[in-house]
Amino acid sequence: MNKQRWHWVFFLLFTTLLGVLFVVDILLGSVKIPGSEITRILFSGRSYRPEWATIILDFRIPKALTAVMAGMALSVGGLQMQTIFRNPLAGPDVLGISSGASLGVAILVLGFSSYYSIEKISCFGNWTIAMAAWAGSAFILFLIFMVSIRIRDIMTILILGILFASVISSLVSILQYFSSESMLKSFVVWTMGSLGSVTGAELYVLIPCVATGLIIALVSSKYLNALLLGDHYARTIGLNIRFSRFVIFISTSILTGSVTAFCGPIGFIGIAVPHLSRMIFRVADHWILIFASSLIGANVMLISDIISQLPGTGMTLPVNSVTAILGIPIVIWIVIKNYKMSVYS
Amino acid sequence: MQIEGLSIGYRPSVRQERIILSHIQLSAGKGELIALIGRNGTGKSTLLRTIVGVQPGFDGTILLSGKKAEDYSRGELSRMLSFVSTEIIRISHLSVYELVALSRFPYTGWVGRLNSNDKKIVIDSIHQVGIQSLLKKNITEISDGERQRVMIARALAQDTELIVLDEPTAYLDLPNKYEIIHLLGRICKDQNKTIIFSSHDLSSAINEADKFWLFTSGEIKEGAPEDLILSGKLSEVFGDTNLIFDIEKGEIRKKKTQRKKINLTGTDNFQYYWTVKALERLGYEVSDTGYEDNRSVSIINKNDKYIWCLKEKDQYYEYKNIYELASELKTINTDTQKHGLK
Repeated sequence: MNKQRWHWVFFLLFTTLLGVLFVVDILLGSVKIPGSEITRILFSGRSYRPEWATIILDFRIPKALTAVMAGMALSVGGLQMQTIFRNPLAGPDVLGISSGASLGVAILVLGFSSYYSIEKISCFGNWTIAMAAWAGSAFILFLIFMVSIRIRDIMTILILGILFASVISSLVSILQYFSSESMLKSFVVWTMGSLGSVTGAELYVLIPCVATGLIIALVSSKYLNALLLGDHYARTIGLNIRFSRFVIFISTSILTGSVTAFCGPIGFIGIAVPHLSRMIFRVADHWILIFASSLIGANVMLISDIISQLPGTGMTLPVNSVTAILGIPIVIWIVIKNYKMSVYS
Repeated sequence: MQIEGLSIGYRPSVRQERIILSHIQLSAGKGELIALIGRNGTGKSTLLRTIVGVQPGFDGTILLSGKKAEDYSRGELSRMLSFVSTEIIRISHLSVYELVALSRFPYTGWVGRLNSNDKKIVIDSIHQVGIQSLLKKNITEISDGERQRVMIARALAQDTELIVLDEPTAYLDLPNKYEIIHLLGRICKDQNKTIIFSSHDLSSAINEADKFWLFTSGEIKEGAPEDLILSGKLSEVFGDTNLIFDIEKGEIRKKKTQRKKINLTGTDNFQYYWTVKALERLGYEVSDTGYEDNRSVSIINKNDKYIWCLKEKDQYYEYKNIYELASELKTINTDTQKHGLK
């Protein structure tokens, strides 16, 4: 069977797996809801226990959808960053987007807590936090854009992005140092990532954002392919380096920014999944890799969510820990298998 | 292509300019194979990168088909010239076909799909360069010589009138070096393309190139390799070294310093020629007459085998091959004592 046939086989496989995992994710939860009821709720919207309908329709389905969106967005963001920086360990937050989001949220939760009473702060819905995260990311992105216009060498931009992120982290630490215990805990819990705090209304923003980011990525897959050859060759085959960087950065910012705003920073998926998709599909063509990474990313995120619910026990784990535990062995495997790292010269 | 009054160099920092060469005046005609020859660090790579647009120049203009290079759009420029650099491309899961296909970037739509004409050009380029057997192989699995051909095929498939190559023979073994430069010459002739390349392989360049751009004493001289040799300009390149370019023999050798003289006789041309080379390597000046008072060597054919006979004063020695003769001559030079008869 040639490569192309295998691709179709895998696409079918992962799509089926996606469906299965989606259902499993909805089945699991602290409240035991029988499968037959879930089917009834999905088709009719009602159940003989109304609170079950609420749980399924207002919590579990949004959570599963968020997992799918986050998985797709972060994986494709990571893929783009790995190609443009020609660095196999780059992730979607390498431009400092997650750090910017942390700064925004930290200023909101930790900074204002010294001026406002606890009651006022507890009305911080997810929207406010999301806005703060977005503002923070936008600020960092603005800095990165200003820098990347003047600098030719992509490695310099990478280093500056990482350094900006470090400076931001220090600022966030300072804010943490001066905040109260309860605010500190709220902030730290935010940094652990959560797929469950996204409401239906917020999905109306998240889904279009992720869709936009993915479409921009697909449209720029030709640029991404050209960038594989390196900046010199890309220039001589007619690529407008500045414009392509702009488009790719925009796509990654929308993808990573919206997920981080609504779910908090989620790590390792963006680094590990692109490598998984390259290994499984064995292509360098970004058109295929974008589809592959989205699909595999969605699956991996659902698996992480399923694991984080620790089925059987009553407890849950923060999603960031699960993605780390899943993602890190993959990243280690990549580092050890040196020949796979020669994706980029 | 016409280059007029160009200055090239680089910027070690944002404010500083380091200019390597200025007032460069060169031309490249259609169907010409042009070799950049010169010592390391004289600016060959810089000139090539400036022509191609990867490194900005400081002054002057580059004209392509009569129009300034900067007046062309990015897309138009990429359809006029293509580049092969010294970078080694290492991308996994990319086949030879896919890499060469990337060169169609200036011609494909936003998705990057190749139409049948594009595919034909890609396959043709691969055939011209002789790597059709490697079509589906990953580029990480092929040898350096093959990879170099792939990069040349890629530049060919971009279908440009001008192809620029920076040290295309750098990592190659000797036969490959000759073959690549010969291939470039063939492409020039068959497709009327202009090819500009830099190389340290002087003999292949002399054999194949229509024109040299010679980097010497702070300027670039252009001309046919033969003209530059006859005018002594090529020898200037070796100016401050122990080497000279021998105009008569067309090769590089050490300067003639104080040499001992030795007499050599023999009837077979090949044996004679290579024995002369070995003796010259040892620092001797060789003649077939006139040095009889000194040492003399004669090559004798005994029962279809050659032996080298060394006559030293009144002693007479025989050696089976040049190595033994040479070893002995070396020891005699450093040691005045006699050795036993062989």
